[in-house]
Amino acid sequence: MINWFKRRRNKNTSYDTNEEWVEALSPPVDEQAVDVLRKKLIQGLKPALHKYVDRELDQFVEDVAQDALLKVLDNIDSFRGESKLTTWAMKIAVREGLTELRLKRYDDISIEDLKPEDGSREVFSLTVASDETSPDRSLHESQLIDKVMQIINEELTDKQKKAINALMIQGLPIPAVVKLMDTNRNALYKLVHDARLKIKNKLELEGIDPDKMLDKL
Amino acid sequence: MELTTDILKNLIKSAQMAIEHEIGCDECFDELHELAEMELAGKSPAEAMPLVKDHLDKCGSCREEYKALLEALQNIENGQK
Ligand SMILES: [Zn+2]
Repeated sequence: MINWFKRRRNKNTSYDTNEEWVEALSPPVDEQAVDVLRKKLIQGLKPALHKYVDRELDQFVEDVAQDALLKVLDNIDSFRGESKLTTWAMKIAVREGLTELRLKRYDDISIEDLKPEDGSREVFSLTVASDETSPDRSLHESQLIDKVMQIINEELTDKQKKAINALMIQGLPIPAVVKLMDTNRNALYKLVHDARLKIKNKLELEGIDPDKMLDKL
Repeated sequence: MELTTDILKNLIKSAQMAIEHEIGCDECFDELHELAEMELAGKSPAEAMPLVKDHLDKCGSCREEYKALLEALQNIENGQK
């Protein structure tokens, strides 16, 4: 009965306000509102994602919109109205789409492929290349490298070393490192932030000015 | 594992840019819809939400998502006209 009243009342509205949206998307869900939102999401996702998708864009975008709609309905309680509801829903949809694309990109790569060839032990014992391989390296530069290596080896946890090594030394993309370390993006960012801060503070403590260091390199 | 001059530079730069309070990807995501509307309304993201802007400068994945969001929003606004 309640359901019937709600559907009738919302018939033909254009969902202009957040209040109208939230009511329509809260249980019992107004299917018409879901359809309107779906169309909007698809309309926005297509131009935003087309450069990442090489084929079947329409199907991909529809699937993403569907997954995003389920998340929107599940989390409608958490919408605080800081923006238009459609903006908030689009944010969820865009992340859904790009996350899906990143997963696809790294789906075929096994964890074994991501590990450095010379074994995982290397990850924890960073060594500097010998002088023979870089004859041009100045004494000053060698000292700086030694210093930074020492800080990394002494101050960072094994996890932090592994992350710094994978991201900055081997240059692996973030999604690959997330997979390799069996973590998530947020946790990886925080781990690396903590490591960067440790290196910065240690350099300061030792009276080394990073700007001067960079100038000399 | 060779630590080349370029890697060393990047490492030092990224350490140097570290500030005590940086937000993570989740906190950034929590604010992104609000920032997007502010930016589309012509406000400077750095002034409106400095911590979120700082994260976007440092995190390629979140930056990619933010740019795609702006593009999507611009498109639905144009579509309504
Ligand atoms: Zn991020």
